[in-house]
Amino acid sequence: MKKNKLSPAARREQNWAYLMVAPTIIGLVVLNLWPFVQTIYTSFCEHLGFGHYKFVGLANYIEMFQNGEFWRATWNTILFCILTVPVGLFLSLLVAMLLNAKIKFKGGFRTIFFLPMVCAPAAVTMVWRWIFNGEYGILNQVLGAKIGWITDPNFVMVSCAIVAIWSNIGYDAVLLLAGLQNIPKTLYEANSIDGAGKVKQFFTITLPMVSPTLFVVMIMRLMASVKVYDLIYMMVEETNPAVTSVQSLMYLFYRESFVAGSRGMGSAIVIWTVLLIGLVTVIQFYGQKKWVNYDV
Amino acid sequence: MKKFPRIMALVLALTLLLSLFGCGAADGKTHLKFQIWDVAQRESMQAICDAYTAKNPDVVIEVQVTSWNEYWTKLEAAAESNTMPDIFWMHTNQILYYSDFGILADVTDLYDDVEANYYQNHFSEISIGNASGSNGRLYGVPKDKDNLVLVYNKEMFDAAGVSYPDENWTWDDMTAASEKIYGSTGKYGFMAYAEDHLGYWSFVYQAGGYILNDDKTRAGFDQPGTQKAMKFYIGMQQNDWCPNQTYFAETQPGTAFFSEVGSMYIEGNWELMNKATSYPNMKDKWDIAPLPKCPDPVSGDGRATMSNGLCYATAAKGRNLEAVKDVLKFFGSEEAQNIASSYGAAISAYNGTEQPYFDAFEKAGYDLNLQVIEDQFAYSIQCVNNSARPKWKSPVGDELIRIYSGQVDIDTGLANMQNIVDTETAKKLAGD
Repeated sequence: MKKNKLSPAARREQNWAYLMVAPTIIGLVVLNLWPFVQTIYTSFCEHLGFGHYKFVGLANYIEMFQNGEFWRATWNTILFCILTVPVGLFLSLLVAMLLNAKIKFKGGFRTIFFLPMVCAPAAVTMVWRWIFNGEYGILNQVLGAKIGWITDPNFVMVSCAIVAIWSNIGYDAVLLLAGLQNIPKTLYEANSIDGAGKVKQFFTITLPMVSPTLFVVMIMRLMASVKVYDLIYMMVEETNPAVTSVQSLMYLFYRESFVAGSRGMGSAIVIWTVLLIGLVTVIQFYGQKKWVNYDV
Repeated sequence: MKKFPRIMALVLALTLLLSLFGCGAADGKTHLKFQIWDVAQRESMQAICDAYTAKNPDVVIEVQVTSWNEYWTKLEAAAESNTMPDIFWMHTNQILYYSDFGILADVTDLYDDVEANYYQNHFSEISIGNASGSNGRLYGVPKDKDNLVLVYNKEMFDAAGVSYPDENWTWDDMTAASEKIYGSTGKYGFMAYAEDHLGYWSFVYQAGGYILNDDKTRAGFDQPGTQKAMKFYIGMQQNDWCPNQTYFAETQPGTAFFSEVGSMYIEGNWELMNKATSYPNMKDKWDIAPLPKCPDPVSGDGRATMSNGLCYATAAKGRNLEAVKDVLKFFGSEEAQNIASSYGAAISAYNGTEQPYFDAFEKAGYDLNLQVIEDQFAYSIQCVNNSARPKWKSPVGDELIRIYSGQVDIDTGLANMQNIVDTETAKKLAGD
């Protein structure tokens, strides 16, 4: 093969370029790539304590696949995604469109909807826990009911999903809003001259035009939902009888790795989760051809 | 004007460089970090540090508080990277795990130049046991000793016309009182919830059962005494006068008690001062009593309460080991332990330093029957642990939750607990 020779000046430039991107590359390798390789290795080991590992082959995976709690956590994670992603996306788009409309105090509303994003997740969940409290919570007071929102196995997942959707609507809506504002006004004008109604306008113009943004938001939201941990950890304590109904993969990972100290098992769960995210993302990228419109 | 950015950059770089030097001990003193988990004891810990640094002006000790939940995750990570704090609290749950791995410095010979058998002469057997490793060496200087008491609401007892609990109280008296209080005031009786140390453990030993056998190699969930106690303890939630586990998932029994919703619960004596100061409007409305005893134990006299104790430990590979050992030596002295006691947060482990703890309550104007705590030490049981405890603690807790929520029946649940502890313990023993 013939190598294409570079002039000394071009090579100097190339070296400089490498030098310039080095900090980012080194950061990625040290902080992301290397830990990932280590996690794969750890998943084949048993943690004896304080960083001492013993290679055990596939033992962790075999134990994991035989563990009912693991399958329950996998299902809980999928259920959480099903509950949060479609509803969350629908509401975000709705909010984005309302914020894009000609209404008074638009800036104020935008700020209000974005506020949950600025609050610390821990604080948000603490407040929601009190709203949901079965004995003294405001929700039960208003409804006049006595529902264990976060202690009843039938309700706990829905309650967590509500908090997740509530916290993320603002952020997703702002991204979608940016997408909406890129749609040329002339399209709408032409469309209304043709006599199309608002609903038809939404499906023929707004949705196709905002679909690239919607796709990005959907991928991000789905990944975040598969990785859900902090919200459930804060909402549902280990002494809660409903914990098995809401325990996600990342929650299980935390408990295995840091409470029980079985980091090998914890790593195996992480690898499983990565595969799950990968699978979902691949499906989405194939699926997007059917509905995402890039011809602007 | 073009020079200005360059000068700025130079100044910034210099500042960054200088701040690096700041990390080192620029003042020539030895800087030590002291990590604890209980914010209520920050003052007393600061006080003993001040007492030490007053005598040793070349040492600076910084007290850092980390919440209990994060403490162990952080400490283990620090142990792996050899960046542990210079001094830290050690708990019986974890001491065997840490010491068996050689993480903690052996302090058995710390006082050899002061007095032979210093520990044996000045600390109780339980205190020494709580600070010892599997090999019988000491891996921490005993800090405090505690036991569990029954906290009760005097007003609710008066309203229901029930006499206050005393040392003759049995489980039957407790359930009868609970029923009467619930019947006449609508307030909850004794609050039994999913918890080991502050929950079922004491009941198990009262009934003549055990959680771990004497050489800590086997669990005792299949023992008749243990089963009797577990069935009684877990069964309490079947009564109207005891809230169920879904209630406790949202409300701590201590919170329920001090919100005047329930009339009795078990508390560790180390929390009493904190509770008294946190709930000033409850002053004089509550008191403490010995834990009720089992009326018909399988063996023993039916009395028991869990006694735990923390210790001051340091890393075996610590950078300032010699300096730290000198501090630890002071922390284990009568002087330091008296100071720590005087804040009323915990009773120091050193024999004869109990009085300052009691005085602290009197000084603050809290009239509690504290004699109970001292009397209970005569028959208290050392907190349960073996080196596999970090491994089995939460799985056993999960199993207990499954019993409470009806996912398994109690016999199956207890058999599972037995299995979990035995398996993890055997694994650990085989690994050593």
